[in-house]
Amino acid sequence: MTNTQESAMRDADQKTGGNIARNLWMMLSGVGIIMLLGVITGFLSQHNAQGGGALDLAGVAVLGAIAAAILILAFVVWKLFQQGKQSGEKVPRREKVYNRFLIGGFLFGGVTGLALALTGGLDAHETVLMSNAAMSPVLAIILSIAIGVILPAITLYWHRHAVDEQEEAAYGFGALIAMYAFWFIAPVWWFLWRGGILPEVNGVTLYFITMFFALVVWFWKKYR
Amino acid sequence: MKNQLKVLRAIRNWSQADLGEHLDVSRQAVNAIETGKYDPSLPLAFKISRLFDLPIEEIFDDEYSGERDA
Repeated sequence: MTNTQESAMRDADQKTGGNIARNLWMMLSGVGIIMLLGVITGFLSQHNAQGGGALDLAGVAVLGAIAAAILILAFVVWKLFQQGKQSGEKVPRREKVYNRFLIGGFLFGGVTGLALALTGGLDAHETVLMSNAAMSPVLAIILSIAIGVILPAITLYWHRHAVDEQEEAAYGFGALIAMYAFWFIAPVWWFLWRGGILPEVNGVTLYFITMFFALVVWFWKKYR
Repeated sequence: MKNQLKVLRAIRNWSQADLGEHLDVSRQAVNAIETGKYDPSLPLAFKISRLFDLPIEEIFDDEYSGERDA
């Protein structure tokens, strides 16, 4: 290998390392935006549950601070996206599809949640993920169709067109660890409930614990 | 698994993105294969082999040093 080739390889590696870090920051900023939108949703739902009306000064200040944080994160995403474009390096086709899905998902999730909160479509208890409280039949049907019909179809397309085999392996290992977590945590919780130490086993909580393990392991295997 | 992917890529002045485009995988996948954190499937290994016009065993090294079975 010539010196020029070695130098080109180092340059390309540095550039790629920078791109991976940039993508990671963009993704984390996107997740941050979604979480902050969730905080706004919860805040407004709580406000509506307490009678609604005009927000007091403290409420406006809290909302203003969160909105400012969202704007800052949105600016970070935009800036990083521009940097990526200016670097001139091509992005593999699969990654382009992947990125479009991510941006679409963030936008759809964020805008839908915020719209529901702003239009009063969500009560306070409905925004609590692990709540077993009743929800309106319309919201229940909408969520069921979204999770049971639309999401599987999108996921199928995602797996065929955006996910490559390395990520598929990461998903697979994440699913395995999540399955083990479920197998071990569920009976332990059940025994401890029978022993009067823990509250009754909650399926929704188990679902989120399982998801947590799957996502953490997937993230580690894909980006380590 | 150790491999020559990084060297072969550099000889062609390709970035990881370029190689990812040729193999229809992401840059993370190329990086994971190059650093030995992920072993490609047999179909992907054949694809890499065809792309560089080299036998698989000249690209990938499983560090097997024992006698071959008859």
